[in-house]
Amino acid sequence: MVCLVVGSIAGWLSSLIVGIGWNMIFAMILAMLLGMIVGGLLFFPLGMLFGAMEVMLPAMLSGMVSGMLVGMWSTMESLTQLLGLGYGAVCGMGCLISIWVINNQLRGIQSNG
Amino acid sequence: MDNLTKTKWDKAAPTFEIMAGGGAEKRWKPFKEELFSHMSGRVLFLALGTGLDIPTFPKNKEITAIDISPKMLEVAQSRINAYSGSIKAEVMDVHELTYEDNSFDQVFTSCTFCSVPNPLNGLRSLRRVLKPDGQLFMFEHTGSRYYPFKIMMDLMTQITRKMGPDMNRNTVKNVEEAGFEINEINHLFLDVVKTIKATNPA
Repeated sequence: MVCLVVGSIAGWLSSLIVGIGWNMIFAMILAMLLGMIVGGLLFFPLGMLFGAMEVMLPAMLSGMVSGMLVGMWSTMESLTQLLGLGYGAVCGMGCLISIWVINNQLRGIQSNG
Repeated sequence: MDNLTKTKWDKAAPTFEIMAGGGAEKRWKPFKEELFSHMSGRVLFLALGTGLDIPTFPKNKEITAIDISPKMLEVAQSRINAYSGSIKAEVMDVHELTYEDNSFDQVFTSCTFCSVPNPLNGLRSLRRVLKPDGQLFMFEHTGSRYYPFKIMMDLMTQITRKMGPDMNRNTVKNVEEAGFEINEINHLFLDVVKTIKATNPA
């Protein structure tokens, strides 16, 4: 849920700010930073509900990826705010699945460090 | 006494549980209960804070607990009183433990070494008061080895450090450098939230 919320907001903001014809690299970096800020800000209220660590990393990753992809896309074609929000949500869902997979790979007992 | 750290946590005490007492406590409760179930002999619990961990302690133990913040321990008092065993809570800085060498059989920490200003010295101090072959049990969050999580945690630490903990500590490495032998690391969430079991070699 956190990934969807942060991804949607980051995607919506990126589609709102970035316009057609912007330099793609600049747009990517700007929207990525914007997404991470969104994730960082939402970390505080959402972290209270679901736990700080379990929210911070998914939230920042979702914000970063959604902002980056929607920001780059917005330089190539005009995205409506609804599309930006939707693409952001899809990116958030992708991040959620990625973190679930990575977590399953990493978690568990390691003997002797 | 590190007054900067003491003041930081005194200020955080009234609102500490808003951030730390909700979802995180519910999620990690079974893991903490398992870790703390190993309590036996003379036990030191480091950084008792507001006593959020007390409900996960096994019943009827005698525990010595310290925290740098008297305000935190004031909040913890009701939980200390409600505990079935006995908890002797003292205001103390981990860097300046007043206990004699080889005083404790076990030391437990819970989300502590994200906040200790000099973690290596803190861990060495713990080693001093642990008996040879004494055990260290830690529930900690640390930095991640993996990108992009590593960068995110480095960035967030610039903010969270001012209010409370660092997010990017390499606690496992610090435990080893302090001279402990690591017996087990159990990653609970990514490589960030984990339990560490270590021994003070004789």
